[in-house]
Amino acid sequence: MNNYYLKRTIRAVLTVWIVITLTFGMIRLLPGGPLEQLRGKLLRQGVSPSRVNAMIESYQNVRPNQSLPEQYYEYMTALLTGDLGQSFLQKEPVTAIIGDALPWTVFVMITSTLFIFLIAIVWGALMAYKEGTTFDLLSSSASILFAAVPFYVLGIGLVIVFGYQLELLPTGHRLSPEVEPGLSLLFVLDAVDHAILPIASMVITGAGLQVLAMRGNAIQVLGSDFVRVARLRGLSDQRISVRYVARNAILPMYTGFLTLIGFNLGGSIILEQVFSYPGIGYYMYQALEARDYPLMMGIFLVITVALVLAVYVADLTYGLIDPRVKSGDSREAY
Amino acid sequence: MSLRTEEMDGNSVRDPVIRMSDVSVTYDDGESYVLDGVTVPIERNEILGIVGESGSGKSMLASSLLDAVPDPGQLSGSVEYRPEENESTEVLALEESELRRLRWEEISMVFQGAMSSFNPTMKIKEHFIETLEAHDAIVGVGMDRARELLEDLYLEPDRVLQSYPHELSGGMQQRALIALSLVLEPNVLVMDEPTAALDLLMQQSILLLLQELRAKYDLTMVFITHDLPLVASLSDRLAVMYAFELVEIGPASEVIGSPTHPYTRALLNATPNLNAPLSEMRPVEGKSPAPINVPSGCSYHPRCPLATEECRANHPPDEPVSPGHTAACFHWEEARTEIELNYDGAETGGDQR
Amino acid sequence: MKPTDSTSDADTAQPTIISDGTDTETFSFETSGSTVEVTWRERLRDFYEEFIYKPGLVAWDDRRTRIGAAIMSIYVFMGTLGAWLYPAPSTNQVERGLEPFETLSAPLGSTGSGQDVLAMVIHATPEMLIMVTAGGIFATGVAVIIGTVAGYKGGSVDRVLTSFSDVAMSIPGLPLVMVLAVVFRPRDPVLIGILLTINYWAGLGRSIRSQVLTLREESYVEASRTMGVSTPRILFKDIIPNLMPFVLVNFANAARYVVFASVGLYYLGVLPSSVDNWGLQLENAYSQAGALVGGGALYQLIAPMIAIMGIALGLILLAQGLDRVFNPRVRTRLAGETESTADEEDRETNTEVNM
Repeated sequence: MNNYYLKRTIRAVLTVWIVITLTFGMIRLLPGGPLEQLRGKLLRQGVSPSRVNAMIESYQNVRPNQSLPEQYYEYMTALLTGDLGQSFLQKEPVTAIIGDALPWTVFVMITSTLFIFLIAIVWGALMAYKEGTTFDLLSSSASILFAAVPFYVLGIGLVIVFGYQLELLPTGHRLSPEVEPGLSLLFVLDAVDHAILPIASMVITGAGLQVLAMRGNAIQVLGSDFVRVARLRGLSDQRISVRYVARNAILPMYTGFLTLIGFNLGGSIILEQVFSYPGIGYYMYQALEARDYPLMMGIFLVITVALVLAVYVADLTYGLIDPRVKSGDSREAY
Repeated sequence: MSLRTEEMDGNSVRDPVIRMSDVSVTYDDGESYVLDGVTVPIERNEILGIVGESGSGKSMLASSLLDAVPDPGQLSGSVEYRPEENESTEVLALEESELRRLRWEEISMVFQGAMSSFNPTMKIKEHFIETLEAHDAIVGVGMDRARELLEDLYLEPDRVLQSYPHELSGGMQQRALIALSLVLEPNVLVMDEPTAALDLLMQQSILLLLQELRAKYDLTMVFITHDLPLVASLSDRLAVMYAFELVEIGPASEVIGSPTHPYTRALLNATPNLNAPLSEMRPVEGKSPAPINVPSGCSYHPRCPLATEECRANHPPDEPVSPGHTAACFHWEEARTEIELNYDGAETGGDQR
Repeated sequence: MKPTDSTSDADTAQPTIISDGTDTETFSFETSGSTVEVTWRERLRDFYEEFIYKPGLVAWDDRRTRIGAAIMSIYVFMGTLGAWLYPAPSTNQVERGLEPFETLSAPLGSTGSGQDVLAMVIHATPEMLIMVTAGGIFATGVAVIIGTVAGYKGGSVDRVLTSFSDVAMSIPGLPLVMVLAVVFRPRDPVLIGILLTINYWAGLGRSIRSQVLTLREESYVEASRTMGVSTPRILFKDIIPNLMPFVLVNFANAARYVVFASVGLYYLGVLPSSVDNWGLQLENAYSQAGALVGGGALYQLIAPMIAIMGIALGLILLAQGLDRVFNPRVRTRLAGETESTADEEDRETNTEVNM
């Protein structure tokens, strides 16, 4: 048992370390781009070469005249002390930008994923109970249809209809200019107002396949022997649907739920661009456009760590909700 | 035909706890039978063994006793339940709530595959408690009885109750399931292949335990299996199923020692036997029919060496062989001489088994 | 979770027996090339029977497969003949800002720079199909190789490959692809397809591995092993064919992912804009204020949107229909209508009759 937790922990740490090393390598692969232009510009402006080098170094976290292991050591120690470098674009520390943007992205993504699974569980179970009826057929078709829509396509559609044409909801930004973050009702309402469309486009397009998965699980459980025996034992329908069907059908979806949060964080790059919603995905895109490598790599690392963390938490907690995997080793999170 | 059966049964079964009469289960709007006109009384406190190949309809027979045929199967006929000698209930006419009480409180069931009969995410204890609660029984008293039952089945009550199903071995799960089925003190216990997934030693020990339980709790047992030798020693009476019908029924010693239906004889010859050399072992030739194309007349005629025109045209009645022993065959007398048995002690009608 | 029905077990064992039996004439020529040839041909035919024709029938029986296949053939038609026959989009080829259904020369209207919208949709198809195929083949191919080798070999090979997949799976796909797109600036659609699925295979490889773990315990695989058949032969003869339905389902899923990701990245402008793509079309239409405010240019958005959703729908339907072959739960109920129930268990008989 301890062995299992230890193994998972080591694996998580190892993955993060490999990704860090990977980003270290990628930064060196990246074309010079605007940094080289900047260097030229600064030199032409008469800034002393040593200062220019220092500035460039702080932007790229690279000290070219050091040996590779030395560079690697500095890069790692800087990361461990929470230093992700300086954003070239925003003229701010990367950590400050991420600290400002991450909560918004996490809010949107966790809310969407929660809704996706709530809908999936309730709707999928209903479909399973009514297997073969018109309701089931229509719902299945609708699920497939919605799953065929990329979230950003629906997002564009929603912005056009609700934002530009009906002018019901904002077309971008996380808050209205006049609203200050704080613990006020106005702030909460305004934040929700701005997040509705992004969340809706994630939920509507993401729920379809999960609904179908839940339906399949529930049908399988409904046909299982233990449900039949439970009926014969005289248990109430309510108890059977909650303790027997729901519980056993939801279990296999638990890991998927946590990992989906992680994956959706990656999707935020496109989503937040469509909605001009300044979360980490929005900044990642900005950084990509401007070749702002420190910011780009910082956000990349954060998203990776979030995904690794989600899988890690799923691994560690699955044993708590499914008694069959107490011993752990035989099963994996995927 | 049915009249004569009644008479015969009247001779052998004095006080039936359940009387199945002409029970059929059909699918596809009556086009395919998975149980075809089964008539059998079950004597109070007996162990009735029902033997048949896979797909012969034995599980359907078990489900019929509790009016629990899986949808969309149509159950017809009569299942009369007699809790006391002079009380009678028609099971198939019960309301849903009455049926809920009948099941488990009066007639209980153990399914094949105990592994899949428990909710994998609940402790064994919860299964007992929820069953007691669903039947408005006092949980404290019921759990004491559960412990006693588990002890009777040579399990450690505390350990088993605190376990999840997967933490128990197959044999332990099976015994826990038997205890669960007896926790409401039913009169009748129906067992559908209860030992199929277990090894031989475990099978034997469970059979011994079942005999002890019957004596202690005055149980009537219906034991359904494909394994003829297994029930032979356990049962008081044996019924043989073929193609969704009962083809032979009688006292266990007679059905084994002096079988009359050609199918029973073929089945016995196909059974591995310590005394008979392997070369003499014969599988039952041909295939048993699927529910959609049961042969006309005697359903066994395509496989039967004694089949005549009569067998192809007419459905054989249950012929009385001896008191309490019937066989649905026109040629049961010939069968005794024409189809040789390959094991010792046959034809003497004795209790060799 | 066994990917094939019970009959295939018997039948995979049979081919060798059958071919030995019918080969008696060739056998008298002694073991020369011809024997091998006939056996190979027969084996191929058996393979086709068992793993393409029969599952195909089951899949085809599902309405979703048929609709999905129909949709996909429209795209293939559009990407081959359509792109060949229909003139390519260029600026000022027609009048600017045409509404849909105004003229036959631009049935779906034209953009602000006078490009035929329909031509843009059609000429984006070939690249998309190549991308989708490349991505699907790469993702499923790598997954099959890594999954089967890890599952079949076990031991340290398994540990290394599994850890490798674990790490690959933990890297978020879209951000990684974006960074790589910036680094490599890929223009070739095959390359883009591969890049997009650069770590998509990992999760799939894991599921294949666990299936191989169950398959290798099957009696017919064990029989091959005891007969001294080499590992690659077992993998190709016994294991991979049985994974085919599952692989096909995931091929369709990977393909859909490639569609979504590529269009998304083109929309963002992360991928170089050398190729016609529905994402570029979306971006152009969306960035034009007219498309948003007036609603006058909405048609420019709708055409690529329908193209994207159509191909995704086709792929989902195919995956769902094929899943029927793979998923035994759905499949037994179907098989029950045709197959004899005699040798099945009572319980199964019941469920089959249920249908």
